[in-house]
Amino acid sequence: MTGPGNNRVDNGGENPGELSGAYALHALNPDEAAGYEAHLASSEQARIEAAELSDTAVALGLATAPVQPSAALKASLMARLSSTPQLPPLQAPADAPAVRAAPDAARTAAEAFAGPVTPLAAPSRGTATERARQRWFRGPVGLLMAAAAAAALFVGGAFVGQAFNSDQFQQQQAAGLAQINSAPDSKRASTTTADGHQATLVWSAERRLSALLVDDLPALPSDKDYQLWYIGGKGPVSAGTFDSSGTGTVWRVLDGSMTVGDLIGVTVEPKGGSTQPTTDPIVAIQSS
Amino acid sequence: MLGLMTADFDFDLESTAPASKEELLGRVARGDEAAFGDLYDQMAPRVLGLVKRLLVDHAQSEEVTQEIFLEIWQSAARYEAARGGASTWILTMAHRRAVDRIRSSQAGRDRDTKIGIRDLAVAYDNVSETVETRIEHERVEKAMSRLTELQRQAISLAYYGGLSHSEVAERLQIPLGTVKTRLRDGMIRLRDELGVVS
Repeated sequence: MTGPGNNRVDNGGENPGELSGAYALHALNPDEAAGYEAHLASSEQARIEAAELSDTAVALGLATAPVQPSAALKASLMARLSSTPQLPPLQAPADAPAVRAAPDAARTAAEAFAGPVTPLAAPSRGTATERARQRWFRGPVGLLMAAAAAAALFVGGAFVGQAFNSDQFQQQQAAGLAQINSAPDSKRASTTTADGHQATLVWSAERRLSALLVDDLPALPSDKDYQLWYIGGKGPVSAGTFDSSGTGTVWRVLDGSMTVGDLIGVTVEPKGGSTQPTTDPIVAIQSS
Repeated sequence: MLGLMTADFDFDLESTAPASKEELLGRVARGDEAAFGDLYDQMAPRVLGLVKRLLVDHAQSEEVTQEIFLEIWQSAARYEAARGGASTWILTMAHRRAVDRIRSSQAGRDRDTKIGIRDLAVAYDNVSETVETRIEHERVEKAMSRLTELQRQAISLAYYGGLSHSEVAERLQIPLGTVKTRLRDGMIRLRDELGVVS
């Protein structure tokens, strides 16, 4: 395959060092990359070059224009954390920046969204041995984290009042949000509440799912709930209740099925919700 | 262990920030969700910007960005500070994931790969940018201008277009061996221009 006029490179792989540029740019196929990595294992010089060129590639990455992700992406990610096990270090972290500050509990509370869902991503590279070592590990620490996340949920999350004793509900919520966010036809619309808080509706028409996210929605007295409504031709239909801690983003995947064009509204209702709205909506967003 | 790496590639001018990305990553490794949220806030626009540069499609790019951040969460304990900054680790992972997506999907193959060779400046239209991204952008653009046209094309096609070196060879209609040389010589030149030293 090598061009006859090529005066420098033997494509037969006799000089694997020539692959350093392509390797740094992720331009090798898996076999070629594995071959190059074998070469790296035997050459300090090659390792230095590979590391430098990899950093050079990162400079190309840093030169691209940043793009702001949707609010739903973060909410969806945070919802997956408690159910996504973390891998142990590859080896004893002799020089790792180990034990430092403890988690800031207040921020955890404000920012955590919890809810076990199926792990989505696994590292896409790694030898078979490494993969074998990567068996999901959930010991007491993992359980502790799950408990902490659940505790945080009740302070900062959207499910207070509804989700007690209901892991399954949280699971459905997190999975629902993830489904909306990953849908090819995922859309969003934003507005502000009567009090000026940012409210975003995200939905997938195909999956008939929608979720409302509101920033810093004020906490309600303990005898009240926020209630979601589909406001269509047949009058308001309840889509579930939720509560808010007053800080951070609260979100709630709507019960029932959404139809594109539905107006989604939120009212303040007596604890547990009403069959029909008893107050004026604090916010309404059209899904279109 | 490689006892090297660039000093600081970030230009983030964040000496007054409460926690560095490296510190945040250390906390993420111990399951700190708030630290993950902070790290996400700092890095997500960078990651999505890079992924979208390769994949073009916004929805698909957000999906891959989600996968990348879940991988960060999962493998944070495997980040080694001695091997480079957190941004370097994250952006390397992001680029590999974006490339994986392109190679595994027909959508990737069908997209307009001319995207890879357009001028860097095109991507900057209508973008609100920070001082440090502008500085970095100009630095890289200047370094790229020092390459030969063919080196620049080959590197752009591979890095921003997500093409394999064989695909680069096909597109530019030059022998694969020549592409390898161009990629390597070009990257070495860029390294020197950008002052990436061990």
